[in-house]
Amino acid sequence: MSNLTNQLISNILFWLSRKKWLVIAFFISVSLFYVETPEGLTSDAHRTLIIVVTALILIVSESIPLPAVAMLILIMEVVLGVDTADGVASSFMSDAVFFIMGSLMLAVAIVHQGLDKRLALSIINITGNKTWRIAFGFVFFSALMSSFIGEHTVAAMMLPVALALLRYSGKKPHQTSNLSSLLLFSIAYGCALGSIGTPSGGGRNAIMIGYFSEFNIARISYWDWIKYAYPMMLIEVPIASSILWLTFKPKKKILDSAVRKLKVSVAKDGKLSSNQALSIVIFIFVFFSWIFFSPTIGLGIVALMGVFFYLSFRLIDWHDLTRRTNWGVVILFGSVISLGIQMNETGAAKWLADSILNSLSNSIDDPSNLRWFFSVIVSGIMTNLLSNAATVAILGPIVLEMGGDPIILGMSTSIASAFAYLTIVASPTCMIIYSTGLISSKDYIKAGWKLFIISITLLLLISIFYWPILS
Amino acid sequence: MNVLIAISSKHHSEPTLKAGMKVANAFSASSTVLEVGEKINEFSMKEVYMARERIESWNFDRPGVDVLEWAFNYLCKEKLINDSSIERGFPKNTLVENSSRRSEVFLEKGKAKNISLIIRNGDIIEELRNEVQSGDYDVTILGGSKSGNLSFDMVQYIESSIFIVKNFQTKKKNKILLAVDSSKGSKKAIKHCVGIANAFNIEVEIITVTQDVKLKKANQNITEYASKFLRRFNIKNKIIFEEGNPVDVIPKKAGNDHILVIGSSSRGPIKTFFQSSTPIKILKKCNCPILVVK
Repeated sequence: MSNLTNQLISNILFWLSRKKWLVIAFFISVSLFYVETPEGLTSDAHRTLIIVVTALILIVSESIPLPAVAMLILIMEVVLGVDTADGVASSFMSDAVFFIMGSLMLAVAIVHQGLDKRLALSIINITGNKTWRIAFGFVFFSALMSSFIGEHTVAAMMLPVALALLRYSGKKPHQTSNLSSLLLFSIAYGCALGSIGTPSGGGRNAIMIGYFSEFNIARISYWDWIKYAYPMMLIEVPIASSILWLTFKPKKKILDSAVRKLKVSVAKDGKLSSNQALSIVIFIFVFFSWIFFSPTIGLGIVALMGVFFYLSFRLIDWHDLTRRTNWGVVILFGSVISLGIQMNETGAAKWLADSILNSLSNSIDDPSNLRWFFSVIVSGIMTNLLSNAATVAILGPIVLEMGGDPIILGMSTSIASAFAYLTIVASPTCMIIYSTGLISSKDYIKAGWKLFIISITLLLLISIFYWPILS
Repeated sequence: MNVLIAISSKHHSEPTLKAGMKVANAFSASSTVLEVGEKINEFSMKEVYMARERIESWNFDRPGVDVLEWAFNYLCKEKLINDSSIERGFPKNTLVENSSRRSEVFLEKGKAKNISLIIRNGDIIEELRNEVQSGDYDVTILGGSKSGNLSFDMVQYIESSIFIVKNFQTKKKNKILLAVDSSKGSKKAIKHCVGIANAFNIEVEIITVTQDVKLKKANQNITEYASKFLRRFNIKNKIIFEEGNPVDVIPKKAGNDHILVIGSSSRGPIKTFFQSSTPIKILKKCNCPILVVK
């Protein structure tokens, strides 16, 4: 009996030790509930902020599965009386969520076509066999492609190309540590840079566009976004390549035998199959639809059109599609966006924005420029701890209430959320390259901090000198 | 008897695997070699699996398989796997995904009875605990860690005995330091000590450290019992009596040329959670391989 009791207690202690953040989140939310509502904050806004704090703790700590966090957000919104069940349900689904769902499914469908070998050949044919050219090519092509088809799609396709080059370079993994880091980070940083270029680069861009229109600030089209963000992406590509080259200078300056072996292994696969050609045509159609039709029918619906065609032409089975799509992320972003909308409607975002501005103006006389620094730096830090889409979903409503030019603040927040260079958990791309076991977590800081600072400086210059011309 | 050997990399895990297989052989145990890979966060899980599928389509191994292949080759070299398996090489094709976090390679029966190879991804304690619970293991063998919390969690939450192969020098002749006192756990430790002494073919030093004079007699009795028990199995041994705090004396005595065998604490889980326990404190201080018997 005492053995059984001990085992039960041990199980409970183990559960508590692994779920301590869930317990902490519970106590914090209960304490916040009983704290007197601060002046200027409505009761609904107070409760919304409790949900925001709880959600942030649970998302960062991952102490419960993400879909469970998503459900908790929705439950709390109704139980705490922030909105009715129907109100919460309607704020849960939006075009931005359609876009996240559609783009994750498009990623699965595109990766499923096995275009990576052909991609490898095209890149290597252009870059040649010099290591610096290959690394630059990796950053450039990763950025170029991820700006249209999303970063994790590109990372999944580029990863085998990098691993093939490393394998064929004939050295043991520990002898190629600099080369491994150079090629893998070229993919990760290239993808991160690319994701700022267009709205389809990342779900967070679609979330910000959704907020712009939901809060009646502006209607930003796919093309408008490109005009704002693409130049920054193009300037950053050579900067990121140079930083990576200087940080991880490899001993081997020419990868001739590796490139030769790669070409031989890829050549076995023959010509482009009809299905692969069709999948490229569908994606081109989706891309042009984003440019021309998304202002009227929405980014998400265009992404779903793409998925419709991939399924209808049997380029992927529903079973394969559903198995590989990260539904947990879709549900989570749906509920976090719903929370963002509640933050705006209840005035919680406005109260937070005012409080932040007040505290900034206490320390510095003119807070107008600090709005920008706050948005960008908080977004950059949060994205490295959380996830970029969740960062924009939570931070977006606050920065849009801060005053100043909301488009500049919103765009800066969304772009800064791509500066996910510093940690493994910053983005799926960072996790994908880490999962190879060839790089350590310290490598992220080595090159990441330089690129982080340069990216923020560049974003500042662009927002001061370039964006005002556009508006 | 089932033995679980947790390894992490080719560079650091040879002593763990070597010591682990010796122990498994001594107990004629079924052994499982487990590689626990990095935890993949939920935001990225599906994307990482998608990337892995692409890697496999290029005929490259997914991360972790190379570590198991290295372990397989080691087992072949040590002749712990039968000849027909060796000829066919590492059977990557039998890698079966049991769940999103666990994959298993099945091998034919070898000298060490059932040997299986497993890859898991996630939090090390959670994965080891799940594996031990599902496989009903008696001993979990793993390499040393610098993290004190990890040692605590292992002894507190993993239900099997724990053998931590810290600073084990494969070529050096070690002795066993069997730490006993009048607690219940000591008798179990004495029984396990026989297996370990046979596995490594080494002599045993039985130590008892008395802090409270009232317990001196009881401690003397248990050391004599231990000595007799070992002699019955023809294991050379000598008795050492020390006075002081066991947490200071035992690690000092063990140095880096012993394998320390110690029983687990009879303290309840709540008391251990808040106040730790003598074996955990010793484990944190010790600089040699240590077996905490449960």
